[in-house]
This record gives sequence, structure tokens and C-alpha cells, in this order.
Amino acid sequence: MDNLLLIITGSWIALPLLVILICNLLDKKTGKSWALPAAIVVSIGQMITTGLGLLQLGLTKSGFINFTIFWNVNDFEEIARSAWASAFFSVDTLSLVVMFAIGMVSLISVLTAKKMNPDKALNFTNLLMVLIMGMNGLAMVADLFSLYVFLEITGVASFILIALYKDKKGLEGSFKYLIMSAMASAMILAGIAIMNAVTGGVTFSHISGLFASGSSLHTFHAISLVLLVAGIAIKAGLAPFHGWLPDAYESAPASVSVLLGGIVTKMAGVYAILRLAQDVFINAKGFNYSLLLLATVSIVYGAVAALKQKDFKRILAYSSISQIGYIVLGAVCGSPLGFIGAMLHFFNHATFKSTLFVNSAALESQVKTRNIEEMGGLAKQMPLTGTSSVLALLSTAGIPPLAGFWSKLLIIIAVWQTGHSLIAGIAVFASVFTLAYFLMIQRKVFYGPAEEKFAGVREVKGGLAVSQVMLSVITVVMGIIFPLVLLFFQTRGMI
Amino acid sequence: MSSLNFDPLQLSIIVSALLVLVTGIYCLIYSRNIIRMIIAIEVMMKAVTLLLAFSGWLMGRIDLVQSFIITMIVIEVVVAVVAAGIALSVYRHNDTLDIDQLDELKG
Repeated sequence: MDNLLLIITGSWIALPLLVILICNLLDKKTGKSWALPAAIVVSIGQMITTGLGLLQLGLTKSGFINFTIFWNVNDFEEIARSAWASAFFSVDTLSLVVMFAIGMVSLISVLTAKKMNPDKALNFTNLLMVLIMGMNGLAMVADLFSLYVFLEITGVASFILIALYKDKKGLEGSFKYLIMSAMASAMILAGIAIMNAVTGGVTFSHISGLFASGSSLHTFHAISLVLLVAGIAIKAGLAPFHGWLPDAYESAPASVSVLLGGIVTKMAGVYAILRLAQDVFINAKGFNYSLLLLATVSIVYGAVAALKQKDFKRILAYSSISQIGYIVLGAVCGSPLGFIGAMLHFFNHATFKSTLFVNSAALESQVKTRNIEEMGGLAKQMPLTGTSSVLALLSTAGIPPLAGFWSKLLIIIAVWQTGHSLIAGIAVFASVFTLAYFLMIQRKVFYGPAEEKFAGVREVKGGLAVSQVMLSVITVVMGIIFPLVLLFFQTRGMI
Repeated sequence: MSSLNFDPLQLSIIVSALLVLVTGIYCLIYSRNIIRMIIAIEVMMKAVTLLLAFSGWLMGRIDLVQSFIITMIVIEVVVAVVAAGIALSVYRHNDTLDIDQLDELKG
């Protein structure tokens, strides 16, 4: 059974690489026609293997698995203790949940790409595979330097994906993302270097041990923490550092927007925060308080700024900033309950935000515009898009019994319990704003007076329709069985 | 575990590395040319390389840090190539490398 698990864990890195090799070694025509089906196989495969991994974790009740890729190491404990070791991986419940989300969002993105870019199929698949590999690696890292390496792999693949069509807007969005991301990487790496100098190691267990021992902070510890927090906040798009995020989302092609909005920026920034908050800086007050402040600002700013936007994708981007705030709030409030809420809100956010981006792709392909002022009364012609967007928006705003309600509830209860009652109040109040901007979208796009010129608009078919149905079913079913999922995780000692 | 009381030489290395980092960030914020911005990124990464090498020297594990730095250089080159490719495409669209011409996305 252990060997089976090692094969599964190896496949998360090896399978995307294999697909790149196969698709590019074949002649160009065959490669192009095989590219998207191969990508679908990889994403479905990832969903199945992560499901199996979760079951295995639940059965063994161990909580985590350590492993290496490409070479064997027998004594993981000793590696973790010797400060200089690096390049070994660790998988726990958090990694498996986010990797399931990676598989799901990649599948949706490929289904969307089928309609949107026929000639760029091979390029898209190659970059998607690099992206999946980078994000999988990010989900499994156990030291700061590997974290940086996989952050960069994810980042570089997404810069090229945004500018896939080399159009003016795409290049602009991509360049803004690249500059901000390069600045963030330099900060993160400087933070890692200083941390290495003052603590003598970069593995998570080594650094968390030093922080847990309660020794007083040196000035250089503080400098390192500031650099790390600022860098990761830029990557995540938290409020004062969010400048690049709406531009990148708006300018990207539809299928890439699904990826970016659903999973990529969440993995690059928010997952790094979740991982560091859980494994490394759990006792570092400066890390937690500064991120708590940034998260609160993001929640309010994202919700208010979304109200003024006209472009469908831009509204979703500002809504992302707000939802990222909730996830980070849960992660750094310092209670296990909040962390569970953050993990599940991460998954739910991947579901409902990709539904909304698929809706935007559907509208763009049928109505040929994304400006919500120009649309109206489309719910009759596009019943599927209308219904799925209503479900996704209710889940985002946290209306019971949909999935988003439970995770948001857990986060707010946890924040309240840890004594930040003012912040919990702000978070609840911002939910009302979330509902406000989504009701505005609904009224202007799907309901309200029907426009004459849209009489010929038809519902989307194929990949877009399938992904809308699939994601809506996941949102509703997750909402209904949410208590059972929590119970399973808890009785099996996985959280 | 290294000592946290740096001698003047060590302190000067840290301070100069942070100064180069700040120079890079300043150059990134105030230059209006895409190529200059790419150079600014490179300057920042050089500062970070210096810091990493210094940290390895301090903790007595130069071999580990050498592998870090080589990995970092590879990644840095990839980022620079992608940035240069974007700069080239921008030049083909706009006939200029002025960053102020990239102003289509607002709101």
C-alpha cells in the first residue's frame, strides 16, 4: 500500500512532464489534436489520485506522508532535523484538498479552452502542464527555498499564458504581473536568505522549532518576516498590493482567466500563507497580526471597489481580492477552527469563482461583450448560465445551504472566538456588500428589461455547458454534505 | 546556529546588499522604459544572490547555498527571457518601449 502511494505522489510531478514530452515529440498535427484530450486525462487523473490519497490518509490516520522524488532517503526525521537538507516533499490534508481543486479547475479550464482557442491548443497545453506541475510542487513543499522555486515556475507559466495571443491588452496585463511578481520574488528570497543566516536553516520544521522555543526576536528575524510577508502579500494580491490583479484577470483569454481566478493566484499567494501560518510561523505574532490587518483591508476594499466596475471579469477580480481576505483571515487568526474554515473556503472559492469565470466566458462567446451595462434580460435565452451564476453568487455571498456559507461561518466564528470581535463584525458586514455587487450583476445581465439586439442569443453548448453543470452540482452537493465532510476529516484525525 | 552578533565586515555586507536591493526597487519604480525595468529586476536579484551567499558563509554551509544560487540563477534567466519576449512584443505593437503607453487597462 505504501508503494502504491509513492507511485501516486510521484505521478503528480511526473505525469505533466510526460504529457509535455509526448505532445511535443509527435509531429505537429498529431500533437495538436492530442494536446487537449491529454490535458483532460491529466486533470481527471489528478482528481482521482488526490481522492485516493485523502482516503489513504483517512485510513492510516497518520496525518501526513513524507517522500522524495528522483532519489530515496530512508530517514526523514533525520533530514528534517539536519538544517541544511532540502528538496523533500510532504503531503497532508491541506495539500490534498488544494491539489484536488487544482485538478478540478484545470479540467474546467481545458473544457473552456476547447471552444475559445483552436490553434493555440498545443501551446496552451504545454503551459498548463508546467503550471499544474508548479502548483502541485507548491502544494507539497517542506522548505522555504523549494517554495520559492515552485512559486517562480507557477509564475512564469502564467505570465506566458496571459499573453498567449500577444494582443495589446494581454501583453500589458502580463507585464504588470511580471514586474510585481519579480519584485515579490526578490523580497521573498531576501527574506529567505536572512532567515537562513539568522536561524541556520530553511526547512519548515527547523524554523518553526526556533519560533516555538519562545526566544526573543532578533532585529534580523523581524526584517526577514517583513520581507516575506510583503512578498507573499504581493503574490496573493492582498489589498494595498493588489494593483496587478484586476488587470491580469481582465486581459487574459477566457480559459486562462478561469485558471488564474480559480487557482493560480490562490496557490501562489494564499496557499503559501496557509502553509507558513500552519507549519512555520504559528508562534510568530508579527506574521499573524500583520496579515490579519491586510486581510481585513482586502475584504472591505475588494467588496467596495467591485461595486463601481463595469467589466464582468473586473468585478470578479475585485470579488477575488475580497474572498482572498476571508481565507487569509481564517488562516492567521490562530485557531485550528479558522484554519479548517480557510482550507475549505479555499476549495469552495475555487468552485464558485471558476463557475463565474466560465459564465463570463459563455457570455463573451454568445453576446460578444463583457460590459454589464450593455446586457440585459439574458436569463430567458441563457437559462443554464443564469442559474449557475445565481448559485455561484449565493455561495460567494454565504447564503445557506450552499458551500460558501459553511466555510465563511467557520472562519467568522473562529475570528470571533480568538478575540478579534471587531474584525469578525467587519467580515460579516462586508458579506452584505458581496451580496450587493452580485445582485447588481444579476439585475443588469440576466434579469431586468430584455434588449432587442439580443433576441438571437442562444445558450452555450459543449464544454462550457458541461463545466457549468458540473461546478453547480459540486457547489450544491458540497453545501449539503459539508457537515459530513467535516465529521470525516475530524474522526480520521486529518485536521 | 550562527551567532547573532555580527562583526563590522558582516554587517557591512548585509547593509550593502540591502542597499543594492533598495536601489533596484527604486529603479523599478522610477524608470519609464521596459528594458530599464528588466535591468532593475536583475539588480534586485544580484542583491539577493549576495545575501544568500553571505548567509551560507555565516552558517558554514557554502555547498548548500551554492546549489541554491545555481537554481536561482536558472530561474532568474527564465524570468528575464520571458520579460524580454514581452518587451519585444510590446515594441512591435506600440513602436516604443515607454511604459506610459501601456495604459489600456484601468478601473
